[in-house]
Amino acid sequence: MAANGLIPQKKEGGVLLKAEDISLSFGGVKALSNVSFEVHEHQVLAIIGPNGAGKSSMLNCINGFYHPQEGRITYKGVTRKQMKPHDAAAQGIARTFQNIALFKGMNTLDNIMTGRNLKMKRNFLLQALYLGPALKEELEHREFVENIIDFLEIEHIRKTPVGKLPYGLQKRVELGRALAAEPDMLLLDEPMAGMNLEEKQDMCRYILDVNDEFGTTIVLIEHDMGVVMDISDHVVVLDYGRKIADGPPEEVRTNQDVIDAYLGVSHD
Amino acid sequence: MFYREAGQFKTGYAADQAIFPILQDRLFVIAVLAFAFVVVPLTANDYWFQAILTPFLVYALTALGLNILTGYAGQISLGTGGFMAVGAYSFYKLTTGFPEMNLIVAFLIAGCFSAAVGVVFGLPSLRIKGFYLAVATLAAQFFLVWLFNKVGWFYNYNPSGTIDAPPREMFGVLVTGAAAKPAVKYLAALSMLTVFALLTKNLVRSAVGRSWMAIRDMDIAAEIIGIRPLRTKLLAFAISSFVVGIAGAELFALHLGSVETIAFDVTLSFNILFMIIIGGLGSVMGSIMGAAFLVLMPIALTNLLVGGFGMQATSAKHLEFMVLGALIIFFLIVEPHGLARLWQIAKDKLRLWPFPH
Amino acid sequence: MGTVYDFIVLPLIDIVEYPLFFIEVVIGGLSAGVMYSLVALGFVLIFKASGVFNFAQGVLALFAALTLVGIMDWGIPAPLAILATAGVMVALAIAIERLMLRPLVNQDQIILFMSTLGLAYFLEGLGDTLWGSNVKRLDLGIPEKSFEFQGILLNQFELVAAGTAAVMVTVLAVFFHRTRVGRALRAVADDHQAALSVGIPLKSIWIIVWSVAGLVALVAGIMWGTKSGVQFSLSLIALKALPVLILGGFTSVPGAIVGGLIIGVGEKVAEVYWGPALGGAIEGWFAYMLALVFLMFRPQGLFGDVIIERV
Repeated sequence: MAANGLIPQKKEGGVLLKAEDISLSFGGVKALSNVSFEVHEHQVLAIIGPNGAGKSSMLNCINGFYHPQEGRITYKGVTRKQMKPHDAAAQGIARTFQNIALFKGMNTLDNIMTGRNLKMKRNFLLQALYLGPALKEELEHREFVENIIDFLEIEHIRKTPVGKLPYGLQKRVELGRALAAEPDMLLLDEPMAGMNLEEKQDMCRYILDVNDEFGTTIVLIEHDMGVVMDISDHVVVLDYGRKIADGPPEEVRTNQDVIDAYLGVSHD
Repeated sequence: MFYREAGQFKTGYAADQAIFPILQDRLFVIAVLAFAFVVVPLTANDYWFQAILTPFLVYALTALGLNILTGYAGQISLGTGGFMAVGAYSFYKLTTGFPEMNLIVAFLIAGCFSAAVGVVFGLPSLRIKGFYLAVATLAAQFFLVWLFNKVGWFYNYNPSGTIDAPPREMFGVLVTGAAAKPAVKYLAALSMLTVFALLTKNLVRSAVGRSWMAIRDMDIAAEIIGIRPLRTKLLAFAISSFVVGIAGAELFALHLGSVETIAFDVTLSFNILFMIIIGGLGSVMGSIMGAAFLVLMPIALTNLLVGGFGMQATSAKHLEFMVLGALIIFFLIVEPHGLARLWQIAKDKLRLWPFPH
Repeated sequence: MGTVYDFIVLPLIDIVEYPLFFIEVVIGGLSAGVMYSLVALGFVLIFKASGVFNFAQGVLALFAALTLVGIMDWGIPAPLAILATAGVMVALAIAIERLMLRPLVNQDQIILFMSTLGLAYFLEGLGDTLWGSNVKRLDLGIPEKSFEFQGILLNQFELVAAGTAAVMVTVLAVFFHRTRVGRALRAVADDHQAALSVGIPLKSIWIIVWSVAGLVALVAGIMWGTKSGVQFSLSLIALKALPVLILGGFTSVPGAIVGGLIIGVGEKVAEVYWGPALGGAIEGWFAYMLALVFLMFRPQGLFGDVIIERV
């Protein structure tokens, strides 16, 4: 499936998420119109398209930040009504952001620890005492987070405030925070924007490793076509809020509509 | 030279997560506590207890409470005085209505009342943010103070409108009321500050604290990773108001002894806010340092201007306002993260001393 | 504390039976509201152009009024004294920009807010040190006679105040929308960085906006000072202007005006008709509660745009 052929054939599962006829508008501006696609388990799906095509809006709909006026989203077989972002998180959807959205007042470790919040059940009175079950819980999760820190090779910046980190490392910490939630589905909004080649290669490796080792389904938005063609199993192309193509990378690459959209052929 | 961490190895995550991971820090804190609990009560005179030490401890606790809400959870509150009033009046009603009640229980229940009121006034925080919320908390400030002033039941229909701390004992020692020894009041305030500082520190380095800071730093991202904004903010309002309420009860019962609602007016709210800004937002140590600064500074200034330069008390008061205002601006320019950050920088320097790097 | 009857039935009977008195109450509220609007206007100007929540606006009004009275005490005629005070306010704006805003550029909003609290303390102390803290009369010869119009008791001073406010708002609206400086101000309000990058000098913009806010404060100080004497309590009208702001929105000039009028009228009507049932003195918090309830339904304020959040 994967174009570079280096990654072993992996088995894709059933439909994890199904978006049907999603339409979203702000006032008079249509951000998405009648977009439908499916995400399969263990898949790496890329959403591509020119700027303003509605890619980020699509992610925002999936994790409940925007509520589409029309259409349905079915996740894990349940068609949801209005859903809040924290409900989406509770159901195993984690994400990173186009403009890094780390918690600037905290260090790397604490930022990633926030990703474990949903899994921490002790109440605040026990936490205030920092004893017994609360301490045990804290240490267990610290260990889990340390594993992520190892995996992403960011041990040296464990205690550094994230605001002081360079861009590439911030992106990595953000990925770490999303991974800490042990998501079933990971939404990545331009994970490689503004990175140099080496950083991009590292990031690709992390994404593929996550997909391979934990079987996490990944939906990503990316502008670098080389990267998209290399790592994704499936590509959805948006233009002006409409879906213009949907298929395996090699098929999308030769699609005339897609070429037109990227080369800027006028729309009727 | 003597402040080095070389040779101190951490062998587990628990050790790495200790409040004072460096041995010298631990020794220093133990020394300070021993001094405060043993040496001070034996040596200080009544003026120091009443005019400086007890108010400092009370304000430090208040600042700590506000810092939970504003410094950690990022919700600016200008209603601190109102919540302190809830604590003070609850404590008054409890100790006069149930004379046998254990004082610790009375303080805790007073805190609970304040927490409940805090939650009610925290509800708008879901929909409104930033300065809009700050202005909304002023509603709590003005409404609560008005309420305690207007409804006679709260001050037991005392014709003068004041409430007086009744004499109550704890472990056979008089703690509240005019006859209680200043040293006893001091120790009571010191104990409560120590306990709450520790509890707060624990809370802010746990999951609850991280969710507060997440909401503070970027509320949208926090919600998307699964933090429930309303629940998190309301918990901050509740715990903050709880601490502030207890501090209000202390201000009444341990420091002033007899108060009217004017003691809890909006000026008090601003002063507490000054304390945490100058001390350091989002820092337990900062709350305490800020309180010390704002208690000591006016006293020092008055002594200097009236005692030193022989100025008239009223013009000294005006000049004091000017100096205080200028100092606040000066501090914000020099170190917007407050005294706590200066302290941290000094410690980092000391760690390397005598080498520059 | 009264009963349901006191709360609902009695006020309505009063309103229906004495409509003229009700109108007088409303007019009284409007005239107080104009004052709130004037202070709120100063807030809005500064917030719009610099994102600074200027708590010192009320003290600025007090300081202006104190300075004016002080200068007039030297025997200088009113128009000259007003000009001189305006000069002082501009000088003050320059000093504030130099000594306070410039070193704090790029700091968090809460830090800037706290610095204006410091400024409020400083100016209050400075005003009292320079001019003394006793209550002073401010008499610029604005007529204060009461007269009757169609059975309604009116006061000339209130009409003058309303007229002044209307003129101020018009001038400011023209200034903002028709002049080069005004456009630059609006650009700065939208985005500091972007404004800087197209060559708008941020520093002079801040001086201008603080000067304008200072002049607005001077007008507010004159009006309020004439009405109730120049004293410390004048700085407290800042606290009255805050609910106006959340009602009208921090960045809306019309919001400040309309919000001020709504708060003024609401407060007076509530005090007259519902105050007795509640035990009186409710004007201290009523405006806040009104604004709070309003805000629950419309978080962006009266004239604010719906906020679209992005990630």
